[in-house]
Amino acid sequence: MKATPRKLSLGEWDERYAQLRSAGLKEAAYGGPLCRHVVKESDLRLQHLRFDNSPAALRLWNFLLTENERLHQARAGGEKIVGVMKDLGTVPVMAYALSGVRAFYLDGAWWTPCLMECSDRLLQQAEALGIDASFCPVRAMLSAFLNGEHFPRPDLLICSAGAVCDDLSAIAQRLEKMGFPIVWWEMPRRRQPDSDEAPCALPGNLVAPQIQVDCVREELQRVGQSLSALAGRPLDERTLADGIRKANEIRRRLHALRVAAYSAPGAPLPALEMLIAEMLAIHFCSDREETIAVLGELLAEAEKRIRQKQFITGADAVRIFWVNPVADLRAMNLLEDWGGRVCGSDYMFTHALDLIPEDLPPLEALARIALADPMVGSTAERASRIVAECRQFGAEAVVVSRIPGASHCAREGEIIREIVQKSLGLPTIELEIPPVCDAMLPTLGSRLQALVETARARRQS
Amino acid sequence: MKVFYSSPWVPVEWIEAHGFEPRGVWCAKDFGRSALPLSAGVCAFSEAVLRFAETHQDLAVVFTTTCDQMRRGFDAFAAAHGGRAFLFNLPATWQSGAARRMFQSEIERLGRFLQAHGGRAPLVADLAQVVERRSQARKHLLELAPRCPARPYAEAVARFHWDGSIGVPAPPPPPPAPGSIPVAVVGGPLTASQRGLLDLIEAAGARVVLNATETGERSLLPPFALNDSLPESERRAPARQEGTDSLAVQRAERVLGAPDARFMAPLHASTSVATADDPLGFLARNYLENIVDVFQRPNTRLYSWLGERLTARGARGIVLWVHTGCDLWRAEAQTLREIFRLPVLLLEADEASGGSAREAGRIQAFVETLQ
Repeated sequence: MKATPRKLSLGEWDERYAQLRSAGLKEAAYGGPLCRHVVKESDLRLQHLRFDNSPAALRLWNFLLTENERLHQARAGGEKIVGVMKDLGTVPVMAYALSGVRAFYLDGAWWTPCLMECSDRLLQQAEALGIDASFCPVRAMLSAFLNGEHFPRPDLLICSAGAVCDDLSAIAQRLEKMGFPIVWWEMPRRRQPDSDEAPCALPGNLVAPQIQVDCVREELQRVGQSLSALAGRPLDERTLADGIRKANEIRRRLHALRVAAYSAPGAPLPALEMLIAEMLAIHFCSDREETIAVLGELLAEAEKRIRQKQFITGADAVRIFWVNPVADLRAMNLLEDWGGRVCGSDYMFTHALDLIPEDLPPLEALARIALADPMVGSTAERASRIVAECRQFGAEAVVVSRIPGASHCAREGEIIREIVQKSLGLPTIELEIPPVCDAMLPTLGSRLQALVETARARRQS
Repeated sequence: MKVFYSSPWVPVEWIEAHGFEPRGVWCAKDFGRSALPLSAGVCAFSEAVLRFAETHQDLAVVFTTTCDQMRRGFDAFAAAHGGRAFLFNLPATWQSGAARRMFQSEIERLGRFLQAHGGRAPLVADLAQVVERRSQARKHLLELAPRCPARPYAEAVARFHWDGSIGVPAPPPPPPAPGSIPVAVVGGPLTASQRGLLDLIEAAGARVVLNATETGERSLLPPFALNDSLPESERRAPARQEGTDSLAVQRAERVLGAPDARFMAPLHASTSVATADDPLGFLARNYLENIVDVFQRPNTRLYSWLGERLTARGARGIVLWVHTGCDLWRAEAQTLREIFRLPVLLLEADEASGGSAREAGRIQAFVETLQ
């Protein structure tokens, strides 16, 4: 059943779903109408979002919104569950290499208050546990972990330490002090090698001293031992290499999707769905095989629309590079409402988008990719990649999205904006987006509108 | 040349052995004195370090990686003044060989930075001497801790972090004020301009029996001697314990006589790995094994250190000193309450606090509740 690409409200999707079903839509086991997530899971935010109207987007949303349910099913089926924190993309590659093991980021609970429009009271519960609103919304993971109403309590907790966000590190420490042991592993702050140090090339055109890579490799070996002990089988090189190949299959699809969507004259898929698709890279939404299928379908849809010159946004939409994930998903809709479109992104895990080297010993390859994390190096290096992608995808403006309370946001936005302005002369803006941004819509709207108008005016000059 | 450092966990002996004067940045007279244009969420301490470094262009500054704010403060500084700034990677973990090797390699790298800025290649003898002198000073300060009044003690520790000396003679144990409540001050750095906090606490009817801020007693490593790491035949007599100023060092040099050739060997990173005469490794181990701070993962060592002293000194309450934007300390408030079963007052440091009416009122109320 064909339809012109457009965004639908939740109510409109119900009608569309009925039409698709009667036209013979085949769905995965977790499929169904989107509205059920409001009823069953109290994902109230869905009522205020607008979604792409393709079956591929339907599958993406259902995949995302059933993650907790699927994790509970896996636990019931005897699988081991690993709760990972902070490294965003590396440890899950190791965990999924072991059959019968699933890993997910506890950090991901930061979107629960948004999805449930704070009806879950996770933020208030975190405050009662000593983690107040001065921390970023990732504090929801603490209360979600303890109340057990969302994801199953993991069999093993693993968290990187060192050059990581203070909010998450402090909250993870609080969790451990409450009686839940954590395997901590060291992530040094990435730096340029000195002239007398052996350099090591990292994915993402980065470089670090080999001594730092060695440190991370040793630490990942320790993590691997914990995973092996949990799984009851060795995480040998062959198993790990196979896990890397699978992860790269996902990364290749995502890369193709990003290049197709961000370089097209119009946006073939909305910014919101692209954000969700990118998020799949970090822990495969708790199902590696299904992630490959979901991304494949999205890619096919995007390519088809590009061929047919059918887009979600007009060709005159201002091309915007977006930095940092938004605490409220609705912000991505807003951008398009005000005449923008996303043409590039750094959602804090660009290293999870890069291919893991397959021509190296697996742990060495994983150490290199882990150390390529944009958040563990200098802000200037992060900004360099942003500048490069702005050039690649023809960005006309940059939005740096601040995460309320996040320790890294206090300074990084200013540094990134300064480098972008100096390198490209693009207009930039910083926006703080809380988990539910409704009260700030007029302010956010006017700031985004001003950015879009400024970028348009530059076209004429 | 002066080399300023932003954390007490930077091995100052190593800086001094290169012929520089290491200075705790928070001890500088003009540190954090002026109002700072802070953007939302920026830590006033990290901002003060940044501004200090920017306005003193004739010195080198060692930042550390202990928190997001300092790491990114370094980023902001390095963009314009990279050449004279060094970011010391302090590992958050300490249990693994990887963390130990990383810490030592950072010391070695710091040495290369110092030599690139005109420092001399340090000799084992120089390092042993500095370690000995600083250890004696720390030992003296640690012994003073339980009996010295809060303000002079904080000043003595600051003096140590400024020039390695102690600066105050051991005072006689003061009689506790009648009915004063023993409390501990725990948290981030308490700078010179913020020491009024200690006066406020005492004026409210409490006495500070433990200064566990980053610039207080907690910042003092237990004494160690580099000679312990050397084969017995190669050990030197310890320096005299009578003084820690430069004159005392000169006296000690005279007492010890000229160092033998063995101790004149320059310390090269590549030749000092894990041997019995591995002074650098020994220095690294002594630091890494004795760091007591909130950024460590897990931070169990902090709690053991605190628990021992809170009990021994009979603290009945904790004032938690947290710099704005410091998630690492703020997150500990509830854990401190739960583990030590003591009331905790969270005080937030802004640009130059330590004496505001609001703080005074909160402290008074807190002390009243402890009576």
